[in-house]
Amino acid sequence: MTVKVEKIEGGMPHSTIMIAGLIAAVVLLYLTYANVLVGTEYFAFFGGLATVAALVWGSDTIKMLCSYGIGTGVPSAGMIAFGSGVIAMLFATKYGIAAPIVAVVLAAVIGAIIGYLANNVVNMRIPVMIQSLVEMAIIGAVVLMGYAAMMTGSFELTSLTTGNVSILGLSLPSYQASFLGGALIAAVFMLGAIAIQHPFNACLGPSWTQDRMLMLAAECGFLSMIVAAVMSMALISMSAALISLFVAVIGWYYTYTKYIELAHRDAAAWLDTKPIPELVEGQ
Amino acid sequence: MTAVAAKPAAGAAVDMPAMIIGIIILLVIIAATYFIVGPGLAFMALIGVIVGGILIGFGVHFVPVGGAPAAMGQAPGIATGVAMLAAGAGLAGLFGGAWAAQTTDNLLVIVITGAIGGGLMMAITCMFVTFIYVYGMGIPNASGKVAKDPITGDTQTEFKSQGTEGHGLPFVSYVGGVIGGLFGGAGGTLIYLMLLDVYKDELPAMMNALPAQILPIAISLAGIFAIGMFLVNAVLAAYNITGTIEGPHDPKFKRFPRAIVACATASALCGMVAIMIVAV
Amino acid sequence: MVSIVFGIGITALAGALAAIAGAAENTESDIGSQGDPNSQVQLAPQMGYLHRIFNKAIAGEPPAWGLWIALGAGLAWAFMAMQINPILAIVLGAALATFVQGVYATTAYLGRTASLAKFGQPVFIDVLKSMTTVTMAHAFIAIFATVTVCHLMNAALGHPFPLPLLGLVWGIALGAAGSATGNPFYGKERQYQNQKYGAGVPIAASGNIVRYAEAGERNSLDNGWFSARLGGPASGVCFGLIVFLELWRTVLFEQIGAGWGAIIIGILIILVFTVIDRYIEVWARKNYGPYAKPEEASS
Repeated sequence: MTVKVEKIEGGMPHSTIMIAGLIAAVVLLYLTYANVLVGTEYFAFFGGLATVAALVWGSDTIKMLCSYGIGTGVPSAGMIAFGSGVIAMLFATKYGIAAPIVAVVLAAVIGAIIGYLANNVVNMRIPVMIQSLVEMAIIGAVVLMGYAAMMTGSFELTSLTTGNVSILGLSLPSYQASFLGGALIAAVFMLGAIAIQHPFNACLGPSWTQDRMLMLAAECGFLSMIVAAVMSMALISMSAALISLFVAVIGWYYTYTKYIELAHRDAAAWLDTKPIPELVEGQ
Repeated sequence: MTAVAAKPAAGAAVDMPAMIIGIIILLVIIAATYFIVGPGLAFMALIGVIVGGILIGFGVHFVPVGGAPAAMGQAPGIATGVAMLAAGAGLAGLFGGAWAAQTTDNLLVIVITGAIGGGLMMAITCMFVTFIYVYGMGIPNASGKVAKDPITGDTQTEFKSQGTEGHGLPFVSYVGGVIGGLFGGAGGTLIYLMLLDVYKDELPAMMNALPAQILPIAISLAGIFAIGMFLVNAVLAAYNITGTIEGPHDPKFKRFPRAIVACATASALCGMVAIMIVAV
Repeated sequence: MVSIVFGIGITALAGALAAIAGAAENTESDIGSQGDPNSQVQLAPQMGYLHRIFNKAIAGEPPAWGLWIALGAGLAWAFMAMQINPILAIVLGAALATFVQGVYATTAYLGRTASLAKFGQPVFIDVLKSMTTVTMAHAFIAIFATVTVCHLMNAALGHPFPLPLLGLVWGIALGAAGSATGNPFYGKERQYQNQKYGAGVPIAASGNIVRYAEAGERNSLDNGWFSARLGGPASGVCFGLIVFLELWRTVLFEQIGAGWGAIIIGILIILVFTVIDRYIEVWARKNYGPYAKPEEASS
């Protein structure tokens, strides 16, 4: 990359965002468990909100990691996050109500070992590498679990693997028409992997500001939640899916307009059908 | 790019203590899996996953990638990111291998089919890169790292345009690309096949269903794990290369032992967790 | 016999759709200026060259296209599971995925340009308004064609992977093939059109992209017009050949030699392409000649 990446400062300290993101995501994931307790599917949208919280946290983690100049570009960090997170998440879904905690702990272990391998064996020698990869593996696992909960009603393995197929008007259980059987996890895998690295990648530059990046992270989260809600219509009841869709559209509209405002605030000039400005001497 | 902290350049140095710790972690994981599941299909699957990860990590080093300068004809190689180009080839190979896994049980046939799928994609892509450079841009291939192409003996320096480090895909880079595709496709298919066998074996008991019924779940789980592990291994290898490499003749290629250890350990860890989903 | 004929017919259709997808993919990424050439669009203002090019920085092409196709396929799968007609499902899935792509494109342009405020690069709202819909249109064609190819592979040819997983695999492959073939043509020929033809861009000229050109101030639509001449069709043929040959050798030869038939044919095809590549390379060396005299007498 021939783009200059200078150390970019400002905004909330990363540890604040990390703790807030982790607690918010886990709490929101547990709120989806109300579905299992009450026997409905209407609380599924909390899973989507959990992904938004985790993605906001993740964008700041990627900013922290990539500020050191890792040499290969930003998107690969997102890939390694989700590649390690998907394995932790699927293992954790076996453990019923403890699944989010198991996912966080296991993802932390996987991220730590992979971070050690990247930093010391492959000789990247970046000070924050291990911490970043731990955080990103946790975020990957939490985001995928959030989408799974949002699209199937809960984060347990049984709900991920059972779906209904309608034959001659009768609704029969089928493994093929489920979240895992239909490999919808592939679609949300990429949704998350692009959404986690887009905020930093798109706001990259010398005039980076943290609030604009975080707002973009929330916008990406809600945008992904919109399409995930549409996909969930095949797996959960239409009214529950519509609630998720409604929450997602409201959230997306708000964050998108706010993001445009912040970009307007930060831009050098906001021109409509004007020629390229002449650069003044000494600018 | 101005990096922030004074980070010593990730050179070809091998940090022996770290490599040894990496190998120790690998052996611990293998021993723990043996302890938990005993010898048998699940354990052999872990060994297969490790071999697949090594193939992927090693194969990524062969693929010629020039990055942003290649897009301007300033450096030889393909103008895409290393990890994702390798992923494209490896996943095309995985596609072919998964298809072969449906019609036959012969492990060798399936893995080689996957390898050919990946190699075929790289062969076609690399040929079209040369096509565009020669007929679209009027630029002959030239390497910046060697004076003579190791395979064909063509001299390179006088075909380099002024002010650049070379351009296009010299024949050795083309061959490297195809070999990288072969290894990547083989590795991805091997990981997929090993996990598929374990899941087909254990999921019916775990979920109380017929094998034919849970087959979609087994295929999807094995597929998404194979893709996830492919990406982790490819990114680790890309970190090892630090972005761009001309192919097997590039001095950076000699760094591959570090990637082998890192990919083996990462694959072992992810493979163990993937197997534990059904075996614990 | 009937099933082989049917398989070949589907393979031909899939190959043609893949060629269309490859061409649309390349033109879309050149209009948006995505991938490695985009680093020049980002660099230019920092070297003092302000421009009116659309700066679409959404990861590289392989992961981004992996997302659009996997998303389109996932949505199509969901609609098909709701008993909606497959073609309508694919159209709806592609439309929603295109909406996501368009939003990502706008946020990328706004974000990157706002972060270049220090160098005085303005945000051009008319660029945003006019380019976004064009790149969305090309994206829709590519997504629709590739999701249809994946659906044919799963439903007609019997590949075991479900539709979203196939979408992920072929999306990344599409992005990799299209970006490898199309990026140098866009980057060197069009972005640096003012440099000498037939040579790479010297490092000293980095950032000096063409900003004033034949139709006034250059914008991304001009770039798309140019690269659709050669870069687009070449990417299309490349990806079309990849899909076609992969399916062709499997459908025809899988049953021969218990799987070894397809492998041998695959090796033969790789050798054919190697010979073609070598021929092109030697042709260039002979017909273009060296840039400077060789250091010593050599062959």
